[in-house]
Order: sequence, then structure tokens, then C-alpha cells
Amino acid sequence: MPRTYEDETREVESSGSAARSGLPASRPAIALSYVILLVGVAIALVPFLYVVSTSLKETTSLFSYPPDWIPSPIYWGNFESLFADHPFVWWTFNTLFVAGTVTVLKLWFDTMAGYALAKMEFTGRRGVALLFLLSVAIPISALIIPLFFVVRYLGLLNTYWALILPPLANPLGIFMARSFIVGIPDNLEDSARLDGASEFTIYRKIVLPLIRPGLVVLGMFTFMLQYTSFIWPLIAVQDSERQVLAVGISGLQSAFLQDWGLLSAAMLLAAIPITLVFLLVQKAFVVNDLSGALKE
Amino acid sequence: MTDVDTGLSSTQLTLSPEEHRRLRRRYRRRTTLTAYAFLGPNLLAFIAFLLIPVVWLFVSTFRTGGVLGPAEFVGLDNWRDTFADPLARTSIRNTVVYSAMAIPAVFVIAMVLALALRTISRGSALIRVALYLPTLQPAVVAAFIFVFVLHPDFGVINYAIRGFGGDPINFLGDTSLALPTIAGIEVWRGTGFWTMMFLAGLTALPSELYHAAEIDGAGAIRRFVRLTLPLLRPTFYFAVIFATIVNLQLFDSVFALTDGGPVNSTISVSLYIYRSLFLFGDIGFGATLSFLLVITVLVLTGLQTFLLRDRK
Repeated sequence: MPRTYEDETREVESSGSAARSGLPASRPAIALSYVILLVGVAIALVPFLYVVSTSLKETTSLFSYPPDWIPSPIYWGNFESLFADHPFVWWTFNTLFVAGTVTVLKLWFDTMAGYALAKMEFTGRRGVALLFLLSVAIPISALIIPLFFVVRYLGLLNTYWALILPPLANPLGIFMARSFIVGIPDNLEDSARLDGASEFTIYRKIVLPLIRPGLVVLGMFTFMLQYTSFIWPLIAVQDSERQVLAVGISGLQSAFLQDWGLLSAAMLLAAIPITLVFLLVQKAFVVNDLSGALKE
Repeated sequence: MTDVDTGLSSTQLTLSPEEHRRLRRRYRRRTTLTAYAFLGPNLLAFIAFLLIPVVWLFVSTFRTGGVLGPAEFVGLDNWRDTFADPLARTSIRNTVVYSAMAIPAVFVIAMVLALALRTISRGSALIRVALYLPTLQPAVVAAFIFVFVLHPDFGVINYAIRGFGGDPINFLGDTSLALPTIAGIEVWRGTGFWTMMFLAGLTALPSELYHAAEIDGAGAIRRFVRLTLPLLRPTFYFAVIFATIVNLQLFDSVFALTDGGPVNSTISVSLYIYRSLFLFGDIGFGATLSFLLVITVLVLTGLQTFLLRDRK
């Protein structure tokens, strides 16, 4: 019986963390760990307090000394201006739409390719694998100039296609998907094959359900890469209404001379959707090790 | 069902060697076709958005013009110009120095946090979410957040420095501090990601070895150096490769914060490539710089593979 995501999660939660690998930790070790982690959490979170605090202040009252953390009175004008004067809703929609589409397509295509590389004996397999492996190491920002001309040649500049298609060439997910699929015992597929199932049926009915926990992590990883991508949208899209959050937000700063209140309001709202997505899937994170992808 | 099985095996036994070979070849041909159908979407994307751009880059390194007028073959002129260009050299140096600061720092911090997370059990989920929040931000957002943190007047760091009687520091306005500051911001953003990655690696390690090591009297530090680090090699391999590829593309935070300044102390290769696309009519120079970046990353990751990969 193959292990499911729920099984593994339950194990992680029930067994104390230390027992999983290594040894039951001593009391001082646990205390020291909490101290280190609390410092880490403080450093991770304190900068966000600035964002929350600044977004609720009028920019003119920002530069007071000593800085006051709690704005009084609370000023909502930054959020109003964000929605009234800027296409913030469009930026959010575009980002979610593009990142969501790329994630779904990538998961689909990468699991198909991963299945072929993991389970099929075919002519040219080593060559294809090597090609994809080499292309892992091609930095996308070195390709912005030719990509710009390719996408312009295809007549797709300034469209959603320009944002969705080029990221599909990122090969990292293929290797991650392959590393999940390699672990599935061959006899599961073989017995389905004897029952007359086509490769596509095997892929859809057997392989996909078994690698679901890995796909959650790979999906989150892909979604996050897209949500935070910057240089390519900056080049491929000119209209502000068609832009994504990261580029839109950076435009707020250069175009409207240091309106920090407005900028903070935008950064605060932009962080909400991706945080929600992460909260939904975060349990799967520790159970699945994506770095297995590049193991041979 | 059992009837069908016996029927099948009896026919298979009567195949002549030649028939067997023929069927095998047909089966292989069919598998190959299916496999390429499964690989199709990725192969198409690879050809359109990786292969053609890289070939285009390579060809463009020998040409000039091409944006407004027709392109012209110029031999090695672009290569000579790129290597002679002092700003290109500065951008390469900055990018390498930045990576050499950011990657080891983020790895050490993330490893310490991952070890601490593995030691505790209560509250671990909440701490993981908190540590991951910076990672979820686009690099430009992280950069803007740090304008507040580092601000000479109202930033928390300078507030503390003044509290101890020091003079406020203009982190992003100082030529020797700007690049380390940019690296520090990336460390803040990347820590959550690498902590999770290392924690996943640690969680997967076999606990039997640790019990054996303890019986042999190995202390915690010795166990970490002798057992954990070598066992985590595949994780480190992935981490080093991925971090190198990502960090050598430094762009977002310098674009948003410093635009390469002050006095070009933070100009990166990607920023210079971006500028060359829009500021110069000639793409030969930008293409050569881009191609150089491709080669550098390929060579570096190849070298890392040679050094870090599991030997069979």
C-alpha cells in the first residue's frame, strides 16, 4: 500500500520532531533552539511592522522622530488612493491569473515529461534528459533580449501570453516530477498495462494520484516563482493595466516620488493572497524534499 | 480473468526468435512515439523560449545593429568591446562579490534555523510560517521594506545605533556598504526558503545511524560534521546549484533601490543587460554580455556538479 500524503503528515505531527532523525534532544538544546528561532522570527517579522504602520499613516506625518509605531489617527487614504488612482485590482488579478495558469500548465506538462523520463524506455532518452539538465543552468535574465524579440516576432508583446509562455520553458519542474515518479514501484504500472490501460490512463489514474503530495510542493514552488517574478514582466508588458503586482508596485515608487504610505498599502495587500496560498499548503513542505530532483 | 492469462502465456511461448525481435522493435517504436508525445509541450517550450534565444544570442555576439537598421557582421568586435568596457567588468565583479556574500550567509543561517526547528516540536508549524513570510515577497517588495528598516532618520537599525551613541549610517548611499546591504536584504528574503529546504533534507535522514553514532560516543558537533553534512550532500548539491543560478541574475533589488549606484557600486550584469536593451540602439553588446552570463553560469554549475555530486 503506497503511503499517502495524509499518512506522512500524521506521522510528522505525532512523532516529536527530534525523534524523526537524530536523537531526542536535551533540555538545554531545546531551550537554545527556541532562543535562536525567536530571534529568527523577530528578524523575519519586524520589518513587516513598518509596512503595516506606514500604510495607515499619511505620508507627510511619516518622518517624525522618534518614529511612532501606532498611527493616530488611523489614515485609510493610502488604500483609497491605491484603488481609486491605480489599477491595483488589475495587477492583483493579472498576477493571480498568470501565476495560476503557469502553475497548472507546468504541473501538467512536467508530470507528463517526468513520467516519460522516469518510466519509458525510448530512443533518445539520455539525450533529452541531458538537454533539459543543461537548460536548468540557463539564467532567464540573460535571455531577456532574445526573448523580447521572439515574443515580439510572435506578436505577443503586452499580452497575457507573453507572461505565460516563456516561463513554461523552465525545466526544473521536470526533474522534480521525475524524482517523485521514479519512486513508484514498476509493478503497479505493469499490472495496469496488462489490463490494457494506455500510457495516458496509467499517468492519469495511477501516477498522478500517487505523487499528489509532491505536486503540492512543486505547485507552491512554481506559483511562488511566478508571483515574485519581475524582470520579464517588466520588459514584456508596457500597459499598466496588464502589469503584475511586483512591477506595478515598483512603478508606484518611481512614478510618484516616494509616496511611502501608498507603497506600503500596496505591499501589504500584495502579500495577502500568496500568504493564504502558502498557509493552505505549508504542511506538505517539510515532508517533501524537492532537492531530490537533481539526484541521479 | 485467469483464463485470459493462461491464453496469453501459451501464445507468447510459441513466438519464433525473429517474431520476438520484430514485436520488440514495434513495441519500442510505439513507446518512443508515446514518450515524445508526453515530452511534447516541454520540448516545444524549450525550443521556442530557450534554444532559439540562446542560438540567437550566440549569433548576435558577432553582429551589430539589428534594432532599427539591418544587422551587420562584425566578427569579434563585440567581444573585444565587452571585455574592454570598464562598466561590464564592474558589473561582473559586483555580481560575483554579491553572490559570494549572500549564498554562504544564507546557507549558514538557514542551516542553524533548520537544526533548531528539528530539535523542537511545539510551535514548529507557526514558526515555519513566520520564517517563510519574507520568502513569499517579490524581491522588489523586500527591497522597499528595507528602505524603512535602514532609513537614516526613522529606520530601526539607525535608531539603535543612535541609541548607543553612534552616528547614523546611510547604508544604501555608501559605495562600500551598498552592495553588502543588497546582499543582506536577499539573505533576509531567502532564509525561509533555504530553512525549509534544509529541514526537509534533515527530516529525511535515517535515524538508525544517529543511534549508532551515539552509542559510539560521538558528540553533537561530531555527529553533525561526520554524519549530517555528508548525508545532506544531495540537498547541498541542489542548493548550491540553484542559489548560484538565481543569485548571479541579481536585478530586482538593485533596479528598485539603487539603479546601480552609488557610483556604479551595485550595478549587476543583469541590470547592465537591461540597460543595453533600452539605452543603446545596438544589441550586439547586450547580447555578448548575456552570452557571457550564460557561459559563466553553465561553467560554474558544471564545476559544482563535478565537485559535489555523489560519486558512484
